[in-house]
Amino acid sequence: MLLLLLLSVFNAVIASVAPRSDYHERLLLRPLPQSALLASFNFRSNETSTAFEQQNFRHFPRSLGQILQHAHTKELHLRFSWGRWDADSWGQMPWNGAREGGTGVELWAWVEAGNEEEAFARWLTLTNALSGLFCASLNFVDATNTVRPVMSFRPEGDHTNASRLHLLHGSLPHEVVCTENLTPFLKLLPCKGKAGISSLLSGHKLFDASWQTMSIDVRPVCEKGGECSVEIEQGVDMALDIERSKRPQDNPIPRPLPISEIACDTSKRYNSHDSCFPLATTADPAWSLQDIFGRPLKGACPLTDTSPDLGYSVCINVPQERNITVHPEGQYSESRSTSPELRCYKPPRNTDFDLHLPSQALPTPLTHPTPPLFASRSINGHGQERGSIRAVIRNPSPTSSIEFSYLESLPWFMKPYLHTLRARIVGSPEDPVKEMYYRPAVDRKRGTHLELHMLLPPSSTLILTYDFDKAILRYTEYPPDANRGFDAPPAVIRVLASSETMGREQDRKGIYVRTTSLLLPLPTPDFSMPYNVIILTSTVMALAFGNIFNLLVRRFVGFDEVAGRGGLVGILRAKIQRLK
Amino acid sequence: MAETDGATASVEPLSTPSTDATSVSATAKPPPETQESIWLRRSVIVSFWLVVVLLGLPVWWKTTAIYRAELPLETMGAWAESKVCQPAFPLKVAVEAPIPAQDAQHLLRDTQHSLDELNDFSAHRLSLLLADAPFVANASQQIVTDGIAVDVSHDEDIALSVRLVPVETGHTPRSLLQPYSPRLDVYYGPSQLPTAASTGSPLATYIAEELHKLFGEEQALLAHLLSKTPGPRAPVAKRLSSGIIAELEHRSTRALKYAPTYHLTFSLFTPINIPSDWDIESALQRYMSPFLDSLTGIHNFTIDTQVQLYSGYTPTVRPEFDEQSKSWTLRKEDLSGFINAAEWPLTPSIGAGPTVNFVLYVPDRSQSPLVVKETGGNSWLVPQWGGVVILNPTEADEAAPAIMTREALAPAMHTFSTQLMSLLGLPQSPGCLPLRISTLVRVRAASLLFSASSTLGALARLYNALPSIPIPDKVAKSVDLTTEHLQLACDSLKEGRFHSALEHARVAEAEAEKAFFERSMVGQVYFPDEHKVAVYLPLLGPVAVPLIMAALKELQTTIRNFKARRSS
Repeated sequence: MLLLLLLSVFNAVIASVAPRSDYHERLLLRPLPQSALLASFNFRSNETSTAFEQQNFRHFPRSLGQILQHAHTKELHLRFSWGRWDADSWGQMPWNGAREGGTGVELWAWVEAGNEEEAFARWLTLTNALSGLFCASLNFVDATNTVRPVMSFRPEGDHTNASRLHLLHGSLPHEVVCTENLTPFLKLLPCKGKAGISSLLSGHKLFDASWQTMSIDVRPVCEKGGECSVEIEQGVDMALDIERSKRPQDNPIPRPLPISEIACDTSKRYNSHDSCFPLATTADPAWSLQDIFGRPLKGACPLTDTSPDLGYSVCINVPQERNITVHPEGQYSESRSTSPELRCYKPPRNTDFDLHLPSQALPTPLTHPTPPLFASRSINGHGQERGSIRAVIRNPSPTSSIEFSYLESLPWFMKPYLHTLRARIVGSPEDPVKEMYYRPAVDRKRGTHLELHMLLPPSSTLILTYDFDKAILRYTEYPPDANRGFDAPPAVIRVLASSETMGREQDRKGIYVRTTSLLLPLPTPDFSMPYNVIILTSTVMALAFGNIFNLLVRRFVGFDEVAGRGGLVGILRAKIQRLK
Repeated sequence: MAETDGATASVEPLSTPSTDATSVSATAKPPPETQESIWLRRSVIVSFWLVVVLLGLPVWWKTTAIYRAELPLETMGAWAESKVCQPAFPLKVAVEAPIPAQDAQHLLRDTQHSLDELNDFSAHRLSLLLADAPFVANASQQIVTDGIAVDVSHDEDIALSVRLVPVETGHTPRSLLQPYSPRLDVYYGPSQLPTAASTGSPLATYIAEELHKLFGEEQALLAHLLSKTPGPRAPVAKRLSSGIIAELEHRSTRALKYAPTYHLTFSLFTPINIPSDWDIESALQRYMSPFLDSLTGIHNFTIDTQVQLYSGYTPTVRPEFDEQSKSWTLRKEDLSGFINAAEWPLTPSIGAGPTVNFVLYVPDRSQSPLVVKETGGNSWLVPQWGGVVILNPTEADEAAPAIMTREALAPAMHTFSTQLMSLLGLPQSPGCLPLRISTLVRVRAASLLFSASSTLGALARLYNALPSIPIPDKVAKSVDLTTEHLQLACDSLKEGRFHSALEHARVAEAEAEKAFFERSMVGQVYFPDEHKVAVYLPLLGPVAVPLIMAALKELQTTIRNFKARRSS
């Protein structure tokens, strides 16, 4: 609880800084259990809305700004994610789910348009343009995987004409996020990975993480006085495995340590000179920025605020007792103003900066706040014809009940039966569903959109199930790797009632939990079938035709009346006869 | 019925000698076929063949045929060979003279006469007409200015107005071209007016020569354009020296393709972090907007700007330090590779029309001043793409200004506007901007006309060369529109309405491009006939073999019978 408070205080500090500075960046490092490390990069810049309208771009990337103007998009949220956040041991997500996406690519935006058709046309323009900008298959976001959520998303920005805004949401769970998405992402930053915390980002380490997400959020922000600006926030969050990241680049194969270097459990009866039961290490592993990211930080980005109490762009959240050595010595400044467990550093300019943490056993490990909800979802059933979905949502809080919305956007070939929808709370007859919004799928035109508004009492578990049919696709609708299965996008859960600890900023961003995506096996045909059918049918037809034609045309005569009877055999036989 | 009769008849003899079939086989012969059964068999074969030929093949042909809309190939070819339209450029020049109408007419006639004598390019003709300004005996400059300003602004097709101003002093005749309005002031002494009796006066000759000089470059440009198109144009085009041709050729390769809208992108690149901002908005307002506004009749412009830090030029370009001039020098070969295409975000702007990039590069202080080795200059033009200016930080601002002021940007902005002029294909003379712009209108109209015509020709050739591509109706419609607008453009040119000619030529060009790049035309090329035959071979093969064999066999018997009958 204390840490949650701390975190929200920290976020509030950043939020209060934002309007004064044109560009702001921050890296938060926090060790996680199981020798994992959370690295959370955040970059934010502003452009006044007049400069944005006139296309005079300074910190705001021109390519993205032009796309947004061309598609009349007022607010944009784009996520590239891969891997799974282990909420059970790692606790809450770094941004409470507000900046983390579901597996694959997720995009939602508020598009200004007069009617729905126009909004959709602009949405397609937007997805096509973004697909080119980020080298992602965003152009595959079409009517079948676009929904218009009613409860799950609220605009974060200050919009003047909200009535003309249309919210559209699309996701591509199958999209693999890779280096080609990171490169354009870095190009959007003012310091371009050449200075500042972005110099730590490299594709080798980012895409080797157990979980990583890249986010881009654009929203209009208006001050009380009426001065408006367009704010772009870019983020990269990753959960790295420290041991894995420390492997040298030229020798990446993990090898067992020599037995002399392992601490063995000598109480085991089989313990001897060549067999060992390794003891669990209690000490936090040693690491440095250079080890983890493969390169040191190349000095501060000079665009960040230079006033003495700002510009602390590298923060590390470790217990007070943890030893940290900073390189180079004496050229940095340190701040512990917000909390003793959060140390922030202002890196020097034009000089490499590194943090070294030695291996150390800590008396009190860091506590991690529990997320507001735990959610998991799976496909049940067998066979090629139908299946069922089962989502389990747990409220860990012993005191407060939680109100949330559950958004499910299913592909059209997954046809749910709404009458089989059951939502029950384990050990309680209460019906958790308060409201339901359902838009059925139309074959090949649009997908299912299911949104539930539910209430979950304290320390209880909700089980949501429904059955579905698997459609049979047309021959050309299968992707090249049809036997792999099809991906169903993650369900999006938004916590609706705000708890008292949540600040105003967090309230706007919302608290989200996303399930993993699902792999749906569909019946797949043999893809050489059409040619087989053509050849088989042709052969049968040719056989029938040949028979009938021969019956009509041939003349039938007596066996002995045939001249030169028996073809080749007859000729041979006649020759033999003559020899005799 | 007959067939079964024949069959039973042929079977009958088989039953009796069946016991010693092997011994008598050589002697037994089938009974002669009845005429009826032979006729029947033949009609069966013929009817099968008829079904195949009359029904099967047409159905196959019809179902696999590609739709090809009718195109007016001859008209298209005629346009491409410039047989339809002989463009002419009759220019109207208004003459404003503060003398009695009769004298003015006389002067006009004389001037026109000597002008026609000077002109060796018949497609481009200047015709003088008298501006109907009030006759003021003792003309003061102000009154005349007012009178003519109203008159000329009404007719935008008047290329130039010549105003005669009588003066008492100074060397006469002399002329002055207004830099920002299409007006030529000619000062003359009162004695130089032609008298009614004389033919040819020094004033008339002088005006004619001046006019001829003014439009010399335009004539060269147009003549060059005409000479590049095929067709019977040799007598029309005037002779150009090879030096001029090379110069014009050089200029036309630099200029951008015509488009109604251009996107101008101004980018500030620096390899370090300063300057991190520039006062671009007011600089554009001050140095660019007036020029862009004057071009509104021909092009529209959108402007966007960006600041990119930590963006060095291509790493393979290595400037050398020149001890003599104490500066870093770029070799001429380096200039083409200077633009760091991999890292600089110079993506074309969204929307129709090409993007023109203007790059302002501020080098690192440790590498400044950075200049071009051969010329010592700091800017160059990238043909059909944009321009680059290197702005070296001056020694004075050692304090490293984070923001570039409007004054600091001024030299770069002047260079950019000069570069934009040559990128747009604006002629370099005369020294009057409206005249140069109206020349640009005529040159662009003519070049669009020719390019649309040649696109039509290319489409006609494509139609003939690739019989396997489908031609949808849309293409035919676009072709019709193109020819229609080409005709309109050509007529407008001949009538001297150059703005409407440009308008029509623009539509024609757009439609011609649309027709030529129609997407559905390329679809079927990758699905050849051989492929279809291969898929259906399992059906066609086994069906065709008995049909052909039966036909051949029957033909053989017929021929043999025929021969036997002849020999007997």
